[in-house]
Amino acid sequence: MRLSKCLNNYYRQLIMSLCLLSVISLSSNVFANEVNIEAKSTSRAWHNVEKRGTKQDVYFHAWGGDQQINNYIQWVSDQVKQKYQINLHHVKLTDTSEAVSRVLAEKAADNHRNGQVDLVWINGANFASMAKYELLAADWAGELPNFELTNPTNNPAMTRDFGVPTQGMEAPWGQAALTFYFDSLKVNDVPQTLPELLTWSENHPGHFTYPKPPDFLGMSFLKYALIILNEQQPANIKEKLYQEATVESQVQLLPQLWQFLDRLHPTLWRQGKHFVSNGLALRRLMGDTELQVSFTFSAAEIPSAISRYDLPDSTRSYRMKDGSLSNIHFVAIPYNSPHIEGAKLVANFLLSPEAQSRKQKTAVWGDSSVLDLSQLTAAQKMLFDVPEKQHASANIINIDNTRLLGELHPSWVKVITEQWLTRYGVQ
Amino acid sequence: MIVANTLFTRVVRNSPYLLIALLVVPVLGGLLGVLLPAFGWFPALGAHEFGLFGFVQLFQTPGIERMVLLSFGTSLVSTLLAFIITILILASYFNSPWLKRIQRLLGPILVIPHAAAAIAIGFLITPSGFLSRLVSPWLTGWDTPPDWLLPHDPYGLSIIFGLTLKELPFLLLIALGVLAQPEIGKTLRAQHKVASSLGYCPMTGFFKVILPSLYGYMRLPLLAVLAYSSASVEIPLILGPNTPPTLAVAIMQWFSDVDLSLRIKASSGAILQIVITLSLLGSWWLLELLVKKCSAAFLINGEREHGGMLIKRLTDMITVAMLTIIGLALVAMVLWSFAGFWSYPDILPQQLVSLHWTSALLQMQTPLFNTLVIAISTTLIAIALTLLVLEAEQQNTKTISAISGFIIYLPLLIPSIAFLFGIVWLFEQVNSQHAYVNVVFSHLLFVLPYVFLSLANSYRRLDPRFSSVAASLGVPPSKIFWQLKLPLLISPILIASALGLAISFSQYLPTLLSGAGRINTITTEAVTLANGASRRTSAVYALMQMLLPALFFILAWAVPKFFFRKRG
Amino acid sequence: MKSTLTQKIPSLNISHLQLKQQGTSLLSLNEEVKGGEVLTIMGPSGSGKSTLLNWLVGMLPSDFTATGELYLNGQDITNTASHLRHIGLLYQDPLLFPHLTVAGNIAFAMPKGDKQTRQDEISEALNQVGLAGMEKRCPQQLSGGQQARVALLRVLLSKPKAILLDEPFSKLDSQLRQETRQLVFEQIQRYSLPAVMVTHDQSDALAAQGKVITLDTVSLNEVAS
Repeated sequence: MRLSKCLNNYYRQLIMSLCLLSVISLSSNVFANEVNIEAKSTSRAWHNVEKRGTKQDVYFHAWGGDQQINNYIQWVSDQVKQKYQINLHHVKLTDTSEAVSRVLAEKAADNHRNGQVDLVWINGANFASMAKYELLAADWAGELPNFELTNPTNNPAMTRDFGVPTQGMEAPWGQAALTFYFDSLKVNDVPQTLPELLTWSENHPGHFTYPKPPDFLGMSFLKYALIILNEQQPANIKEKLYQEATVESQVQLLPQLWQFLDRLHPTLWRQGKHFVSNGLALRRLMGDTELQVSFTFSAAEIPSAISRYDLPDSTRSYRMKDGSLSNIHFVAIPYNSPHIEGAKLVANFLLSPEAQSRKQKTAVWGDSSVLDLSQLTAAQKMLFDVPEKQHASANIINIDNTRLLGELHPSWVKVITEQWLTRYGVQ
Repeated sequence: MIVANTLFTRVVRNSPYLLIALLVVPVLGGLLGVLLPAFGWFPALGAHEFGLFGFVQLFQTPGIERMVLLSFGTSLVSTLLAFIITILILASYFNSPWLKRIQRLLGPILVIPHAAAAIAIGFLITPSGFLSRLVSPWLTGWDTPPDWLLPHDPYGLSIIFGLTLKELPFLLLIALGVLAQPEIGKTLRAQHKVASSLGYCPMTGFFKVILPSLYGYMRLPLLAVLAYSSASVEIPLILGPNTPPTLAVAIMQWFSDVDLSLRIKASSGAILQIVITLSLLGSWWLLELLVKKCSAAFLINGEREHGGMLIKRLTDMITVAMLTIIGLALVAMVLWSFAGFWSYPDILPQQLVSLHWTSALLQMQTPLFNTLVIAISTTLIAIALTLLVLEAEQQNTKTISAISGFIIYLPLLIPSIAFLFGIVWLFEQVNSQHAYVNVVFSHLLFVLPYVFLSLANSYRRLDPRFSSVAASLGVPPSKIFWQLKLPLLISPILIASALGLAISFSQYLPTLLSGAGRINTITTEAVTLANGASRRTSAVYALMQMLLPALFFILAWAVPKFFFRKRG
Repeated sequence: MKSTLTQKIPSLNISHLQLKQQGTSLLSLNEEVKGGEVLTIMGPSGSGKSTLLNWLVGMLPSDFTATGELYLNGQDITNTASHLRHIGLLYQDPLLFPHLTVAGNIAFAMPKGDKQTRQDEISEALNQVGLAGMEKRCPQQLSGGQQARVALLRVLLSKPKAILLDEPFSKLDSQLRQETRQLVFEQIQRYSLPAVMVTHDQSDALAAQGKVITLDTVSLNEVAS
């Protein structure tokens, strides 16, 4: 059921962008500064949070489809139990929108104080949706002492979720970038750009596919293609990708994508007549050797899948040379959470160097830290510096010589999904 | 029968009202909770005006007619197929020991949750699946998986296959249950004997004499199967196409879409789903009339042999094919659950490891605990209530009215996708924060009908003279109930409990929605993992889903034997 | 010569029958019943009456074994499938098919043929037993005696070569019992059918006016011990 839908929470990531308008970064700087001032003056307030949050039950709604991540959350739960006697319950979602609907239903029923969701792993369209319907507690992220360590003043990505200002409704948790992988025994001519991918798929029909939108991973592939295909456009048109989609900008930007897909689809797995419903199914199809090239937002899952025999030992991962879509994922607190202090304590712990460094280990989860190392003490930096024994697939080819592509404005998701479904949704 | 007015009899007398309230209130309330948004009333989204825009949106969805057609077609064809095969099996093996054997082989499938069955079938027919491996490369020359469109074919063949396989044992068991009832079964067998003595070959005799009577007893279960399959989600989701999917799957996705305004379209879709289900039931009824009309002359034309041998051969083939497929699917699942890397087209994995089981069992403890707690509490309530209602029936010396009999089927006849979302809204209205209670409550909707149907026959078969004799000896009704009836019924009660547990184990949507996602069971975990990345973990969970109900059925079967032997 | 003669006179010949239950002898029988005659079998329950009937129609349960032959009109039908034996059965319950009308029940039993001819034949037969005009009735709308008569017509119009009566009148009250009994025996004689009747009732045996065999309980005791 839910499994068909995008496993949004899974891949929430971003290094937001290099190419954002200066106006936007300016405004976020202003915003971040405000947060700072507030944070300093409220260390006493934080003391109160610690006092009240202790011993609370915190229901953390987070996508639960990956065992590594679940184990990590279990570890977090053990830690906060020790530190604050908090009982952290991981509510495993198949889809983050389940949590969104729950809070919405509670609001509909005038349950404004006693919600079931205390903390939710979220970003992108789910966040935009919750923000739009005012389902989130606002202005709390700046209170977290560890939020400073992300250096929000100089890193606007920490306070914007797919271009939408977070307004203190979310605390960053991790980041990731689109990573491709292939079976090195079967594929000799690895496609390393979008045009190469098309040529490769024409030469090897039936061995590549992407999940059906609105699946998060499928959407990410389409966004990547959209950015690359419009690369040659003048800057003033290109930048419309990072603004609210309009009729005009759609006409200017989308035709390139549809032309590309019209050529690509007949060469896909099942001739493009059927698309998998979620991103994880891609990995299974790689394991089944039905696909030979695929992609993911969490590169760390590859070596771990190999160790569990779900992927062949000869799998290798790489980034596309023409760019890699990347984003940040966050945690948010619903407006009606009865355990808001406990939730804040957990969110703060998630941002601690201890938790972030552990999360970054390939063997644990492999999700990149959002902390700015320059803000850390030497001892804290050491935590990030532990060498690991790794499978060859953990070394991502091209990782240093590819640029990161910023997320599009969330409004594009709906536009692309609707038009995709009209064009290709009925076969 | 005049019954003493004691606490026991008062409880008994009022139990039918409780039963009916437990079934009707949530279903109707749930429907209301969907009906309002369907017509545009959804205050949380700021929608306060009644209108048809939900339906306008719905009918503008690309491929909506395909979705409707797919829902309609797959459920009609699969129910028809399952029914036909059931009849063929009954006709071919009537009065043969094979009937019992087939029942024993197919029976366990009944308790396999839909999700697990779909996963197993998927493992079999997918291009890199077990079937394709069995014939490659020696026969087909394939050394990479072929690019065929099974499962997920646009015509819904895989869905039909899955649904048929799942519905068949249910219908077969219903039919055998009817034949096992002393009155009906004896009469039907005697009538078959009459037909035989009148020169009818056994097969034709079955079709002309038994089927017309038997069908009457199977109609309601058939309609329930039809209704269920038109709105089921697990099988179409795992085996069906998604360009576009069936309506029920689409509704499910709209309900959980990030874009909250889709909620209104989803509610309208739920209403459309009810219309589809109703029109399916109507079509079945028309089809029934048509067949009745066309076969009237055929029944009495005096022809005594209608290709009996041919039909028998065909049935043999279908039965063998089905049992083989089930066997292979099981083997494939077990292999995957122990597989190291398993490259195509190897028939066996390169190595067998227990890693997937050990790591899954470690993670399974909480869900397993939840599964058992919920299933056991639900089943206990269902059994207690059912026994009380049946006792009330005997004390009033009349069976519950036709309306109540129909109400018991209500949660099975109305597409659950249409009222479950409304129920969550209902829970919100009463501000129920107890996830466990909510889950048990919603499981009860599906467990109660099955437990009731399973127990009713045995209870009604109890000779009422037992009670009369006991009552004439001055034994109070409560004592008769506790010390006479319950011990006599221990075996059926245990079987009904096992059935109740199995039904509870398999619930996905009710657990997820009313549990606010806070309660993980083996089934919710299995579905979360089903379309996930690992065939191996998925195989472990699906097998676990099969083992759990099987274990309790074995217990239900063995416990009375054990006690019997002890007493003997 | 002998064989052509036996073919002309309808007869049911039970030759050297030995029925055993799990190796224990249940009964032995060597009898010939001619057309129009009724052989009455009496005896307490458990003496093997119904087992005998089951053997005659070819539906012997698997825990019984039989030696001996069964000839119908001179033809050996010992191993013929039950539905090909042309032996009609009349039970204590009329066992009418509830999904068919009275006429339908009878038509069901009749051989294939022209629709109109069959209808006429049915009307005539109903007329004869006092059920004129009841073609379209449902079996449930008939009284017990009426149902018994329809059941009889159903057997007779199927053109059987012999008929077995399994406690056929035991569920009728005494007035009805006499009438129905008379009707049945008349028809048996009219169609010249060899008949075997199993009954508890002495008066049935008397009315049949044929040979009466009483199965003793010795075999039962043997089985029990």
